[in-house]
Amino acid sequence: MNLKRRRFVQTLAAVTPAIAAAQQPAPSPAGGPSQTGPGGRGGFGMMEDTTKIDVTPADAVARMVTKFFNPDQFAALEKLGAIFMPTMKGAPGAIDAQAPQFLDFLLSESLPDRQKIYRTGLDGLNSQAKERFHMTFAKLSDEQAVQLLEPLKKPWTYDAPSDPVEHFLRVAKQDIRTATTNSREYVMASGGSGGGGRRGGGGTGLYWLSLDQA
Amino acid sequence: MAIPEYDVLIVGSGASGGMAAYTLTKRGLKCLLLEAGPSVDFAKQRVMKPVYELPYRGLGKPGKLPHVLQANEFNANQWVDEQQVPYTHDPKTPYNWVRVRMVGGKSLFWARMSFRLSDYEFKAKDHDGFGENWPISHADLAPFYSRVEPIFRVSGRKEGLAQLPDGDFIPDESPDSEATKAFAASAGKQGIPVTKIRRSLGKGAWASSFNLLLPDALATGNLTIVPNAVAREISVDKATGKVTGVHFIERGSRREMHAKAKAVVVGASCLESTRLLLNSKIANSSGVLGHYLCDQFYMNSSVVAIIPELKNGAGARGGGGYIPRFRNLRKDEKHNFIRGYALDFNTGGTPDPRYFGSWGEQLRKDLESVRGAAFSCTSMGEALPRYENKVTIDKSVVDAYGIPVLHVDCKYTDNEYNMAKDAVDTIGEVCHDAGWEVLNKNPKFYNPGYSIHEVGTCRMGDDPKKSVLNKWNQSHDIKNLFVVDGSSFVTAGSQNPTMTILSLSMRASEYLADEAQKGNV
Repeated sequence: MNLKRRRFVQTLAAVTPAIAAAQQPAPSPAGGPSQTGPGGRGGFGMMEDTTKIDVTPADAVARMVTKFFNPDQFAALEKLGAIFMPTMKGAPGAIDAQAPQFLDFLLSESLPDRQKIYRTGLDGLNSQAKERFHMTFAKLSDEQAVQLLEPLKKPWTYDAPSDPVEHFLRVAKQDIRTATTNSREYVMASGGSGGGGRRGGGGTGLYWLSLDQA
Repeated sequence: MAIPEYDVLIVGSGASGGMAAYTLTKRGLKCLLLEAGPSVDFAKQRVMKPVYELPYRGLGKPGKLPHVLQANEFNANQWVDEQQVPYTHDPKTPYNWVRVRMVGGKSLFWARMSFRLSDYEFKAKDHDGFGENWPISHADLAPFYSRVEPIFRVSGRKEGLAQLPDGDFIPDESPDSEATKAFAASAGKQGIPVTKIRRSLGKGAWASSFNLLLPDALATGNLTIVPNAVAREISVDKATGKVTGVHFIERGSRREMHAKAKAVVVGASCLESTRLLLNSKIANSSGVLGHYLCDQFYMNSSVVAIIPELKNGAGARGGGGYIPRFRNLRKDEKHNFIRGYALDFNTGGTPDPRYFGSWGEQLRKDLESVRGAAFSCTSMGEALPRYENKVTIDKSVVDAYGIPVLHVDCKYTDNEYNMAKDAVDTIGEVCHDAGWEVLNKNPKFYNPGYSIHEVGTCRMGDDPKKSVLNKWNQSHDIKNLFVVDGSSFVTAGSQNPTMTILSLSMRASEYLADEAQKGNV
């Protein structure tokens, strides 16, 4: 873990419970009868209705385990993440936001077409790195790595580029950005303003529950 | 329990079914309305969530709604589940069928763009010889548009354009922004008109049958709404040839039920209505039921440009407008396509990062410099009604309710491709002439269906051999059967269809009420 990331994770640990507490009513004293039940009725049943338990999201205590990409592919994706979305103006970058780990999860559940774009693209990027610099993409210096990203400078077209690496780079640039700006880390660090939320301000939106039981 | 007798059974509670209920109940007819989806309590059905709490960080569950590109992870559950109610198509010619099943239907989620069709659409064949004219003209529908517009509170500006008839608007007197004026001036040099957007303001959060039509209909005491009733087949009395009611599946229990009425009005949405008629094997003596499926091709971000005056935080001076169809209004125009397209545009946004060849810190700076300085437009062009674009029943597949599904066979042709290219080239030129930097031009449209403006497949006409419905949206074959939604359209036009659907439904329902009074149904 690099220094910046460690510092960020510490900040997150400090911030999460405060936000959680602010969003929930104060818990009842442990073990005691409810003091706040409507009509002073209190009792066991009412306690069950009103007690709120303070909980912590999994991301604050654990890291995602990768399972889709092989080690060389994942290392290349991390390198790309650090280049595409570095820490900027104090906002967490792709690595802080665990964007590569998230994409590993997303791709593990994606349709074969999408999986192929990523696997072929990352393999291609590693091949190009070996051909030109005799090492994998992850081991390149930033100056070397960006030389392989030149295709991104071509004008954007609706049709995907026919070259698989070019196609992948375009997809990854967008996905890494969204995976970063929609992360818990990014949204919290930016004061809830978010960045890539597809709905509403502050990275929040109205979520539709399933209509199956409606 | 005695089962009440109904004058009219209405299938569907969206714009068309809702308007039928609104009109018929006010005329004193007892109506039963079947809606395939639930009656939703929006306060309970939707919860505020931060995007990072969604399992896929807002990117959505892969493969959940492959044809609904409008879906995102927040609203995925509002659309019809494609696994529960599938449809089929050739993998080489995909069709995006976007559906909503709940009381209010798609009228809960539409973009509220509220335009009339003109005689360039109603009498399209007279202009270019292609296809058929509608059996009605703007003059026939105008009184109904004029009643619908105040209900939906359509805001707009009277423009005096023959191709976009003015309506009964809440006047939009807002001044045009500097960017809009600059665009309009540049467009004007090419003879391209720019108007205000025409939009249904509705009431409160909605501009839907849910809040604007159904409550009034219920208040008459003449309407019964049954949600979760999935219509399967319209029943027919073999002796009289008239329809007698509808078989439906209760969504929760999967029980089969049958409800009776003296007349049936189908407003289940274009393709669901046609599916119901096809599955019922009725109203198709013409053989054209299911044919002439059309819509508007749809390209968002057709042209994206940077407005230099708004760069580097010069201030949010956005604003937008509408470019009504301007091609092929004169018979002597020469283009490599017939009919035309319309666009709506916005200024003041920030362009998508994909248009920049940078990343990291440089991309951040690039975006910062153009924040609020973008022009972007969406084009919608008339897809021609062609016999070969059609829906049929795919007997090999049934939905979760055991009902055979639709097979959609629809593709665009050179007329649409050429029109799309003309749209981006022309608007690109207008931007360029305004001194704006064109960032991207995109002449590729989405699959057919994407615009959610599918019309046709149950078209109206004077000739029973060429059409399913007469000019009153009444089946040529069965006089107590009406189809009142977009399936009745003869052409799609370039305008959003909802105002026309509402007006047709109101007109058809008035006619049905008149005929019922005379004992003719």
